[in-house]
Parts: sequence; C-alpha cells; structure tokens
Amino acid sequence: MIIRNQDKINSPDTIKQQFESLGYICSDAIATSVYLACHLQKPILVEGPPGVGKTELAKKTSDLLSAPLIRMQCYEGLDEAKALYEWKYGKQLLYTQLLKDQLGDVMRGAKGLDESVSRLHQFGDIFYSDEFLEPRPLLEALRTEDGAVLLIDEIDKADQEFEAFLLELLSDYQISIPELGTIKAKSKPLVFLTSNNTRELSDALKRRCLHLYIPFPSKAIEQKIITAQVPELNDKLKYQLVEFISELRDMSLKKAPAVSETIDWARALLLLNVDSLDHEWVKTTLNLLLKFQDDIEAVEPEIHNLLKVATKEN
Amino acid sequence: MQKVLGDFIHALRQAGLPISSAETLDGLNAAQLVGIDNAPLLKQSLGTTLTKCLEHRLIFDQIFDQFFNSHNQFNVDYGPTPQTAEQAGEHADIASPPTPMLSLESPLAQQLMSGDVSGMQVMIASAAAASGAQEVTFMTQVPLVTYRLMQALGDGALQQELAEMADHDENSAELQLLRQRRIRLQQQVRDYVEQQYLAFNQNEPSKHREGNLQKISLTSIDHRNYKLMGELVRKAAKRLASMHSRRRRITKRGLLDVRRTITANAAYDGFLFHTKWKSTRVERPKVMVICDVSGSVSKVARFLLLFLYSLQDVLPNVRSFVFSSSMEEVTKLFEEQDMDQALAEVLHSWGNKPTHYGKALNDFETMALGDIDNRTTVIMLGDARNNNEDGNIAVWEEIYRRSQRVLWLNPEGQVNWNSGDSIMRKYAPYCSHVETCNSLRDLNRILGSVLKHEA
Repeated sequence: MIIRNQDKINSPDTIKQQFESLGYICSDAIATSVYLACHLQKPILVEGPPGVGKTELAKKTSDLLSAPLIRMQCYEGLDEAKALYEWKYGKQLLYTQLLKDQLGDVMRGAKGLDESVSRLHQFGDIFYSDEFLEPRPLLEALRTEDGAVLLIDEIDKADQEFEAFLLELLSDYQISIPELGTIKAKSKPLVFLTSNNTRELSDALKRRCLHLYIPFPSKAIEQKIITAQVPELNDKLKYQLVEFISELRDMSLKKAPAVSETIDWARALLLLNVDSLDHEWVKTTLNLLLKFQDDIEAVEPEIHNLLKVATKEN
Repeated sequence: MQKVLGDFIHALRQAGLPISSAETLDGLNAAQLVGIDNAPLLKQSLGTTLTKCLEHRLIFDQIFDQFFNSHNQFNVDYGPTPQTAEQAGEHADIASPPTPMLSLESPLAQQLMSGDVSGMQVMIASAAAASGAQEVTFMTQVPLVTYRLMQALGDGALQQELAEMADHDENSAELQLLRQRRIRLQQQVRDYVEQQYLAFNQNEPSKHREGNLQKISLTSIDHRNYKLMGELVRKAAKRLASMHSRRRRITKRGLLDVRRTITANAAYDGFLFHTKWKSTRVERPKVMVICDVSGSVSKVARFLLLFLYSLQDVLPNVRSFVFSSSMEEVTKLFEEQDMDQALAEVLHSWGNKPTHYGKALNDFETMALGDIDNRTTVIMLGDARNNNEDGNIAVWEEIYRRSQRVLWLNPEGQVNWNSGDSIMRKYAPYCSHVETCNSLRDLNRILGSVLKHEA
C-alpha cells in the first residue's frame, strides 16, 4: 500500500495537495504526521475537540492510498471478542449436532474408550479452524492483502484492559490467538486512533504512537474548507460566516461550534437563499451551531455585537 | 546531529517532559527522514514523535524555539558572513569562503579571523562540555563558567597575542578588528552559557519545592502556596484516576457458559440454539464524604473536598456533605460550579461556625442513611471536637452497620485525640479505619487504599 502510492506521499507538501484535491483541507501539522506515519510505519493518535475532522482524516487517507478503511468504534465494555475475533459458537454447536450420526459411524467398531478417543484425535481441530473463525475489525485489518487503513475511533471510550490488548497490535502488527497461534500482518496497516480525551490514555499506548492534536482551524483554513465543501456559497457570506464562528469560539461556551457545524450552517444558509448574515437569520439558525440551550441563551443577546464584528470589513 | 538531538531531548526532560529512549529513537528516525534543513518541518516532526499530549506539546514548542535559537545565535557574523545565517547551525560542514589569512599565531585568533561560523560553534560546544556549562545550577555561576569557557577556547593565547600586536602597532586596523571580534565572541559565549542554564536547570528548583510541599502539613501552608497545592492535589487525583479507571467497567460478555447453554436448550431436543454467557460484574464503589468545616479543621476540609472533587472522574458516585452544626449536601453544588467557586461558597456558608456532631448526624440520618448499602464507603473528616454536646453515637453506629467501610480521617495527631472536648474514643469503635490525615501524602495514601479495596 505504501510502496504502491509512493508518489502520492513522497513529501508532506504532496500529501497536503493530494488531500486538497480530495476536498480535505489540512494544516502542515496534519500532513507532516501522515507523512511520518506512512514512512515510519507508526500509528497516529489523533486528539482534538469533537467535529474538527479526526475521523474524516482517516477516511481521506484511505481514499488517498486507495486502501480499504476498516473502522472500529470503541465503547465501554468492548472486548477482544468484538474487536479481534470470535469463534462461531452457534455454527460449532449446530455442526456437532448435525454430525452426530457421522460421529457414530466413525466410532462404530471402536473397542473401548481409549480407541474412540484416539480415533477422534485423528480428525484434528476441525471445530477450531478458519472455517469457524469470525474475524472482527482488527483481524480483518491484519488479513487484508495489500494493507488497509484501520481507524480505531474514540479509544478513550474503551476500557484500560483493551488498551493494553492493543499494544501488541500497534507495535508489532501481530496478534496472538491461542488456538491458531500468532497472526502477522500480511501488509502493515496504517492505524489511526482518535480520542476525545474523556480519560487519560496509558503511557504505553501513547509511546507507540505519533501524537497529533487537531485544534479548531485558523480562519484562512476554515474559509478554504467551506470553499471545498460548499462551493456555491458566495465569498461575502463565507467571510462573514467564518468571522462569526471564530467570534463564537472566543466566547466561553459549553461546546464551541466545530468545523462540521460550520459546514452544516453554510449548507443551511445556502438552502435558505441567504446572501448576507443578518440578525433574524442568525437567530433562527443558531440551533445548528450550538447544541446546548444554555449556550443559545447566552449567545442570543450578543448576536448584535458579534454580527457587527463579523460584517465590519465588508 | 545525534549529539544535538541528544542535548535537545535532555533539555526537554529537564523541563519535565517524559521522553523515553524509544521515543528518542523515533525522533531520530523522523529527523533523518525529513532532514534538518527545514526548521518548521523538523519542529513538527519532532513534536509529533516526542510529545504525547497538548500540554507537553506547548512546552516542547517553547523549548524548541529556545534551544535552536541558542544554536542560531552563533550565526551572528564574525565578519564575512557565510550565506547560511538562517540555518539551524548544527552541521559542521558548511563551507565558508575563507578570508585571506593574516599572520596570526594563536589558534583562536585564526579561527576568529577566518569567519568560520560553524567551526567556531563546534569549538564552543565542545569546550562547553569540558567546562561543565550544562551543570550551572545558579544564575550567579554564569560569569565564572563563561570565563572558564573562554580560557578553554584559548583566550589566554589570544590576549597575549593582542598585547603583542598592541606593542607593535597600536592603531593597526587588524588589531581593532580582532579586539572587536573577541568582545563579540565573549558575548556569544556568555549567551550560550545562559541558554544552557535556562534550558537545563530552570525547572530543577520547582521540582524540589513540589517534593517538599507534599510533606508539609496542610494546616500550616500559607496562602501563597495554596494555588500550587491545589494543582498538586489535582495531579495526585489524576494519577489515582488513571490507575483505577479500569474498575469503572460494569459487565463484560465473558465465556460461553456450557452448563446454562445446555439447560436452556433442553427443549430443542438437545440442539443448542441459544448460547448463554458467563458474565462478570464489576461493582462501582459508592463514596459518601462528610466534612467538618468548622474553625480548626476548615483548611484541611478544603483540601479533602478539593481532592474528592477531582476524584469524581473515577468515582461517579461521590456524595459530599458538609457541616458545622447542621449538615447540608453539596454534591449538586460541586457538579454545577467550578472547583474554586464551589469551595469558596461552601466555606463561606458553613465554615468557621461552632461544631455540633450530634445535630449534624441527625441531619445525615434524614438525608442519606437510607442510601447507605454494603457497597458504600463513608469517609468522615473531622476532629471530633464536639463542644461537650451529645455525640449521637447511635446514628454513627447505624452508619457503620449498614456500610461496607467507614473511614475517619482526623487532622489532629493521635496524641491529641480524646483530649479536651474531643470524643474520638466514642466514635472510634464504629469505624473500620481511623487515620491521622493532615498532609497530601496521607490523603493520597488513604484514598489510594480506599480505591484498592473497594472495587
């Protein structure tokens, strides 16, 4: 996967341009991290406030490398049966029942328990073979022929044991299954871990990863993002929109509007045929930007002042 | 390059960033990959490999600028400038156009007149290692080390030569130039030593102070250290949180339970359709903390509350109560307001009033006694000084009977218990643990053991 796409990732600048052509506008820091991850073959731990494009980064990287994206959403209580592999218990049980008669045939004529058991042994571990293995995202990522992009989303939501369990995968790209032995990656996947920082991750995990913090984008980048995502929007409105949002982020809110909210808002304004921000439109569409009633109540009386700043230049 | 990066990483460690040798290797690999010509790119690459959280990244950025700026300073021209002034100057192989050599004898003078910036810089760096510039622990040592470094560079011979030249011809342009360059060199060396001091030792004293603070008794800390102490408490709580957070998990799917599976499928003629699973349930401990905030203990109470406030991350079921004579639950207050505000309000409303344990326990009985079950830990912080009132021991006994564990943390030393109006001996039989607690270290140890046994 890496070798095949050498020309697309031969420098951070190239990666940045490639991302831009895919509609993902990124900062130098992001491009550098992806570049290093590809070449040092290390996982990236992506942190940042919700909605700045952490998951999107993995998706676009998979587009860039034209590799399959395998996504694993973490949650409290996630264990290796759901992340790595599981035996198809139902199938195993059903087969033993269905094969009862066959077993009877095999056993016929056996003298004593010893001989029966040794005959059974001749069949080997049929029930613990690949046929009965249900691969889950992690195993799938290791088994993909030409490498995959593996996204482990919101790792902070999983338990600490699970983190420890990931260590082998992240450093050696292999996992041990007791019944089958160690499975090595056919081609090393590119791993993205995202975290919203609801809890501190262990040092051992962090040590194995490159660390990338994605903050809210600068005004210039945000304008570019909107241009890429909502190209029909006129320049004046785009400018006002970005200014307004950046003013909002400076206020102390429970949840500041992220990039995804900016895009939603831009789309909504386009749909409503608004060509310049005014008090009424902002007020009616504020619920697209702010997700807490407290925030909306705090911002409403300020709209006038915010608009003044946002529309000043034009 | 290895040497420079090694020094840089040492400087980062001095600033308190935990950088392991594995990360150092990653950093070196990354630097090799991106090259060292592009400073912003190098900064990002090293930043992403060496630091693992935002807070550390900010410190990293600061130190990177400081450190490589100190390297850049050597590119101040000594005369004919090599055109590489903006390059981070760690490579010694920059070819510089040599000026016509003059008939100078001392090596330092030759070096100065040659205008070989990178050569000069390598000389300073290696002389610095020999004269111990990295071990400067106090700002006042800077002049001495500067002098030593100059000597190591061969300043003696240079000065002698200058004197000879002055004897020969006081006004020669060559002499003036050489003198000028010597003064400039001196400044460079001094700056270098100061940078080293800043990079390597600036943070040492604060480390000492934190260590000391942990041991100082809570009641005798002056207000100036209050803020720092609060941060320490938060740090300790965070450490405990990451240590114990795994206990928060409720259930896991576990293994196939063969016996229950067969039983459940008996109706299907032995065909096993429904699988049954063994599951384990990990309990979350419930903690109720009761704080005496009256007069003498209020300062310790502030810290226990602060600690428990921070601990709410690990233990979602913390209920906090404060009392002096009547008791009030402050859990909601803690949830809604930020730490400083909440503590200020508690101390303002309930602090520094006379104590009445009996009345307070009565209030507790009506408010929370019914919620105590065998998974609850009750922590009492108080000196049991009851102003000779009725202690209402029966309620405390009931709490002890219902709960799994009762901790009593007394800010007074054990010798003072039961003296004067303290009725510790009446409560003590109904406690699983009675501990003296008046420093952060005590607090840390006690709460650590609570978490260990409860989960």
